[in-house]
Amino acid sequence: MRQCSSAALLCCASSCIVLLGGCASSTPQTAAVRDFASLAPKLQSYHELTERYRYTYQREQPFLDAAADAAERQQDQQRQQACDDFVKLQSGLLAYMQALGQLAGDKQYDMEDQVKALASGIRAWPEQGLDDRHVNAFAGLSRLLARSVTAPAQQAALQHLLRDAAPAVQQLLDAMQNLLRLYQRSSENEQAIVLGMLETELPYADPQRQRLLRALAGVLQQEKRKEYHLFGLRSTLARQHLETIAERHQALLAQLPAAPAPQERP
Amino acid sequence: MSTADDIETLASQLSDCAHALHRRILQAMRPPAAPQAQIQALFGREVALRTCANGLYLDAARLAASGLDPARQQVLAVTVRAQQALERIQHIKDVFDFSAELLALGAAIASGKPEHLLRPLENLKHQLATLGHAPP
Repeated sequence: MRQCSSAALLCCASSCIVLLGGCASSTPQTAAVRDFASLAPKLQSYHELTERYRYTYQREQPFLDAAADAAERQQDQQRQQACDDFVKLQSGLLAYMQALGQLAGDKQYDMEDQVKALASGIRAWPEQGLDDRHVNAFAGLSRLLARSVTAPAQQAALQHLLRDAAPAVQQLLDAMQNLLRLYQRSSENEQAIVLGMLETELPYADPQRQRLLRALAGVLQQEKRKEYHLFGLRSTLARQHLETIAERHQALLAQLPAAPAPQERP
Repeated sequence: MSTADDIETLASQLSDCAHALHRRILQAMRPPAAPQAQIQALFGREVALRTCANGLYLDAARLAASGLDPARQQVLAVTVRAQQALERIQHIKDVFDFSAELLALGAAIASGKPEHLLRPLENLKHQLATLGHAPP
């Protein structure tokens, strides 16, 4: 009886596959979207640099005189508020990329879990005359079936999301690229303030009476130079990451089929 | 050119002026070195210029800065010339006078109030004209 129902299930699955066979496979486009979505972790470098920009004043503070400190403190408040918004740009883009990733394939993994559960359920019936070969075939078929039922809807949702979000995403990417450039420029001034203070004060320190001070300041100078050099490298890398994301997104949009014409009404 | 681009260009220009001032400070530190108090005062101005520039970068970043007015283009041209002039000035007293005017201009730009811009702009243009007649 059970054997009979399993066979019927297999048969039913096969006929559905025949019917839906055309849409069963993952299109090259969904693969490209998955690749694009996998770039999402690269947005982390933008986040890090925004947080670094947020703490500009804290890094400068020990090197400022009273007048400069007052001006910088005021700027710091504005910067803190602005950075809250700058960070949000990234989370918007991140959510978008994750949604694309899910539409282009992540859901499939959920279904595979279900298929596996089904397959192990079948295995628990040892005397039904179903061997591993059948079980695997069944699992394979039901996986294809699950995909072919959901694929057209997912594909439509995917194209919809790509098309509708395109202008906003482009704006976000532009803004983030601009911000990274501005962080870099601002950091160049910060560097000039920090290193410049040491550079203009050190030669006036007495070599005999202020030996310790000169030694410590010299070490600090080296460390600070290294720190700003590393920041420069990270900044370049973060900009490259964003550029890659922007290029790949542009390529996805270029592959997008034309929007379906609005339905005619009688 | 959009407003944000404009503001960024201004900020870069002020940064360049600060850079030119820094080179002059280092020059003044060579033997016979200027007194430390003078160097500190000049460096204070360099820091103030850089703070102005960073304030403008922040404005550009917020994309929320309101337009300054058409004087901006003029300011840009003047700061380019100011930067070149700073390279040429020989006497530390002139560097002092000059950096003070530049700073006033920077502060007026950073405050975003065009009505405060006119006087320092005129002063700086006047100084540039005087320097222009002096031998290089």
